[in-house]
Amino acid sequence: MRQRVRLTCALIDRPGTLLRVLEQIALAGGNIISIVHNREIITSGYVPVSINVEFPDLQSLERARKGIEGVGVPVMGAESLEKQMVMAIVVGGVRLDSLLSELELRGYRVIESSTRGFGESLTVKLLMEVPADKVSELHEDLTSIAERYGALAVSEV
Amino acid sequence: MGRLLAKELMDNRVPNVKLVGVSRSTGYLYRVHGLSPDELRGELWDSEGFTKGSALSLMRERAFDVLVELTPTNLPSAEPGLSDVRTALSNGIDVVTANKAPVALHYRELTELARSTGTLLLFDATVGGGIPLITLRRLCMRGDELLSIRGILNGTTNYILSRMQFEGLTFELALREAQNMGIAERDPSLDINGYDTALKLLILANALMGLEKGLEDVKVVGIAKVTQEAVAAARESSMSVKLIGSVDSDGRLLVAPRLVKANDPLCVHGTLNAITFKFRLARDLTLIGHGAGEPTVAALLNDLHQVVEFRLRGTVSK
Repeated sequence: MRQRVRLTCALIDRPGTLLRVLEQIALAGGNIISIVHNREIITSGYVPVSINVEFPDLQSLERARKGIEGVGVPVMGAESLEKQMVMAIVVGGVRLDSLLSELELRGYRVIESSTRGFGESLTVKLLMEVPADKVSELHEDLTSIAERYGALAVSEV
Repeated sequence: MGRLLAKELMDNRVPNVKLVGVSRSTGYLYRVHGLSPDELRGELWDSEGFTKGSALSLMRERAFDVLVELTPTNLPSAEPGLSDVRTALSNGIDVVTANKAPVALHYRELTELARSTGTLLLFDATVGGGIPLITLRRLCMRGDELLSIRGILNGTTNYILSRMQFEGLTFELALREAQNMGIAERDPSLDINGYDTALKLLILANALMGLEKGLEDVKVVGIAKVTQEAVAAARESSMSVKLIGSVDSDGRLLVAPRLVKANDPLCVHGTLNAITFKFRLARDLTLIGHGAGEPTVAALLNDLHQVVEFRLRGTVSK
């Protein structure tokens, strides 16, 4: 299945480094959508670069990642650009503001939230935008937050 | 279920199989030439020749060829089913069972015992009632890779959640109704707390995906905290709350109430079970069917047919 990802790499500020990274992506079959390369931001001698790429499948992405690291460039992250809308319900005495901020911190964008009832019978309905590669983690994350309040998390399969 | 199966066997649903004994916790009735329908109409202990005590001695004497093990599921001991299955297999007796606990909690030990003694351990009746989940995988999908499993594996909780959704009942009322109708046990904790689903999930994960998981590897959350408000909120978004058991491609086992879209083939109601297998080549395959009771007897009969074929022709899909 096609994978649209944002690869974040830490480049040494030296001519030709970015070209070597792009070669590895091309060799793995990746199709570059856009590149953000800001040489004005240099941290500890490294320039962060974000490359949005479409890979034909997950294996190609892994080949590119290994190839890039093989030429001495650390890959700081590979965030999926595919988003999925996921619904969830939390039942029990959660604090809504804490729940929402914890979800945002973990990378889940809450698009809509509504509540009914209060106290232990509070029901919170959430609609979230979730990176495709994090959908399987959402239930676990939501459950761990809810359980701290003695609440129940019911998320979409 | 024992009586239902006995009746089917008396009606010769499985050629070459004769019912020679019936055992209960208090004792057993055994006739080497076969039991008659009359002997099974009343209470077993009223029958002439009823012997008090355990039928394990019959297994040690190898007084019969196939044991159909139907004792209740007990946690954490898995007894008395575990001792029954161990004794039978050790003495060269094939086993067909609908008892989840021994297979779920001692899968590796029992399958190795069966292999070492040249016996069969068949357990399609432990999961999904009449849906041939084990047989389907082993007979029809042998070349494909099973990547994940997800499903409604417990008819009782599905009934309760369906009544909450369609009739607006509270959890407590829906449970009481299920008990009055004989759908839920007097002690429904195994179903409600999710452990019945967890045991079935373990059987599928270990037997069909080659995993070696124990009950401690399953994250289990039951349905007792599901409120009418939560079910109504799901319904407003064209979803249903269902108790779902799942094994993902990383081998993580989870039982929890989840939201299922109305157009998902898993979204079945009442006492129905539904299971989606995700295969690498065949992709998603969803099976829907009835759980406990008569459908389970159908699975037992099919497993007995397999035993007969194995003993007559030497082949079976294990």
